[in-house]
Amino acid sequence: MTKEELISYIQENFSGKVELIENDMPEPYFLIEPKAIVAFSRFIHDDNKLIMHFLMNLSGVDTKENMEVVYNVCSYRLKHRLFFKTVLPHEKAEVDTVKEIWAVADWHEREAWELFGINFNGHPNLTRFLLPDDWDQGHPLRKDWVGRDVIPFPEGK
Amino acid sequence: MANKLHLETMQINMGPHHPSTHGVCRLILTIDGENIVECVPDIGFLHRSIEKICENRTYAQCIPMMDRFEYVTSMMCNWGFALATEKLTDLVVPERAEYLRVIMGELNRIASHLLCIGVTGLDLGALTPFLYTFREREDILDLFEMTCGQRLTYNYIRIGGVSRDIPPEFFPKCKEFLDKFGEKCDDYEKVLTENPIWIARNRNVGVITEQMVYDYAVSGPSARASGVNFDIRKHDPYSIYDRFDFKVPVFYGGDCYDRYRARMAEMRQSASIVRQALDQMPEGDVRCKVSPKFKPKVGEVYSRVENSRGEMGFHIISDGTVKPFRVRARGGSYNHLLVTPEIVRGLKIADLVAIFASLDIIMPEIDR
Amino acid sequence: MGVNDKLPVHAEQSPGGGIITTELNKIFTLTQAKSLWYLLFGTACCAIELMATGASRYDFDRLGMIFRASPRQSDLMIVAGTITYKMAPVVKRLYDQMAEPRYVLAMGGCAIGGGPFHYDSYSVLQGVDKIIPVDVFVPGCPPRPEALLQGCLEVGKKLRTQKIDDWRVR
Repeated sequence: MTKEELISYIQENFSGKVELIENDMPEPYFLIEPKAIVAFSRFIHDDNKLIMHFLMNLSGVDTKENMEVVYNVCSYRLKHRLFFKTVLPHEKAEVDTVKEIWAVADWHEREAWELFGINFNGHPNLTRFLLPDDWDQGHPLRKDWVGRDVIPFPEGK
Repeated sequence: MANKLHLETMQINMGPHHPSTHGVCRLILTIDGENIVECVPDIGFLHRSIEKICENRTYAQCIPMMDRFEYVTSMMCNWGFALATEKLTDLVVPERAEYLRVIMGELNRIASHLLCIGVTGLDLGALTPFLYTFREREDILDLFEMTCGQRLTYNYIRIGGVSRDIPPEFFPKCKEFLDKFGEKCDDYEKVLTENPIWIARNRNVGVITEQMVYDYAVSGPSARASGVNFDIRKHDPYSIYDRFDFKVPVFYGGDCYDRYRARMAEMRQSASIVRQALDQMPEGDVRCKVSPKFKPKVGEVYSRVENSRGEMGFHIISDGTVKPFRVRARGGSYNHLLVTPEIVRGLKIADLVAIFASLDIIMPEIDR
Repeated sequence: MGVNDKLPVHAEQSPGGGIITTELNKIFTLTQAKSLWYLLFGTACCAIELMATGASRYDFDRLGMIFRASPRQSDLMIVAGTITYKMAPVVKRLYDQMAEPRYVLAMGGCAIGGGPFHYDSYSVLQGVDKIIPVDVFVPGCPPRPEALLQGCLEVGKKLRTQKIDDWRVR
């Protein structure tokens, strides 16, 4: 499906809870409410015309005002790609897990939890795995994070 | 009661320092006798915070970081990052640079597969393939050294082209390598493909079903060994891959043996792509003019290349300044390590070694 | 002739042949310098160069160097690659498990001082010498196999200046 077909198909079948973000990328980009993320994921995974089996990437993002979770999916068979994201408040960054839909989201979500402090409701195993077990300095990829032992990069180099 | 056999499971630790875990990965195994009941990977021993570092560097300074993100195929990491940045800036790369990228990328893919096959042999107790494959790998590294002066971390593919043109002696040297490479592949096949020990250790071990490929987003040769015909070079062509004539080898067993065969077949295809690229290569510039402190437009991009291990993607968010706002790199091994616990259940520890090697898991790609 | 020329100067061949008089120290250090077994310990990029050094073209074996997977059997620890805070206790424990006399070679920029990850990194140890004593540093990112070979020869040189008495007290 082309970009326009994808956009109209998704807006027809999943109306109300999705909002299109205008961009000049080859893929459509949707903004989804945090509550609808599981339903939307289930829809694009199971729908016969979309079959988005391939969760390529799941990134946590700290935009300074909000936290975001960006999902990049594509289909093995139909080769089309789709971006969608959800915006969460900084203090209470919580979204439902999509681990049941794409098993690979397991580690992506653990990583976002560990490095950004985004909580994934329903994830059974949100434990440390990239940082040392005795890590006590918070979530290092947040923009306002200040590290204890970090040597800053010299300016002008 | 006295006759009742008392069975209990035991937990053992494989790694982080273990020669067959290809880097530093810790697997916590629950075993019953020698059968694996459960396997829990513990990663992060090589978490070097590349993503954080990139947020404090200009785009051009990120490229050397990407070399270290996945050092076995550094060319393709450079390429993936450069490709993503070029999408954000609408740069047009010169023709000759595109061809050079394809040549270097495919040579790097061969080098990586050679490493994988050699090391798989080593892990399964065969020293000869290791020595054979490294012999040819050194020849490829010579070509890279001639081009950019480095053996492993190249920093060759830059944003807007490549760092420099290849020297004239590259062509005869590369052709000579390609001419003999076919025979060398036959040699490896003679040593391994029909070898009964190799077949016994690899056939029907660690089967990844088609459903697992979808669930765990397995990609690259490992997916193609499970019957999923998915190659980004063919199905979502980037750069100039649509100009070359090559096949995507697909196998249907999904076991270690088919993964090995997929890699073997892919090496021959890569050699053929390099040959075509050498023949078609035009003259011209190899780099378009880019200021080292250029500012891409505000936006977001996810760009992917077909790495020797699977899909390698770069998700970059730009806020219009000289530095990227967020970089997330994703490598194929991430998913392959995640699928490992599923496929080792019930197998022996020795099979785990074979599976680990055949999936070609490289830790920095996972930990970053 | 041959081997005899290369024997230490104090070695003296007996008239009947077959007997050499020398210091025990010389024999110990000479033999050890010619058979340095190294611990196969690679974490990152340098590990691939370490493997290449062991493989066909560069051939570690001709220096009498064979890799061992167990720290108990090795004399030399080649720290090849980045050491993170999570990995540091493991490196320390491996070093502690090695038997005396033991030597450490820090290979590459990361093991020497953090390398490309020196600045801005929250998880990389700034040099392996912060946790274990290092005898030889081999710079490069990653070093060429020739550089690694020379580094190992330097370890041999250092080894031959030492006394066996030193090993006991260390």
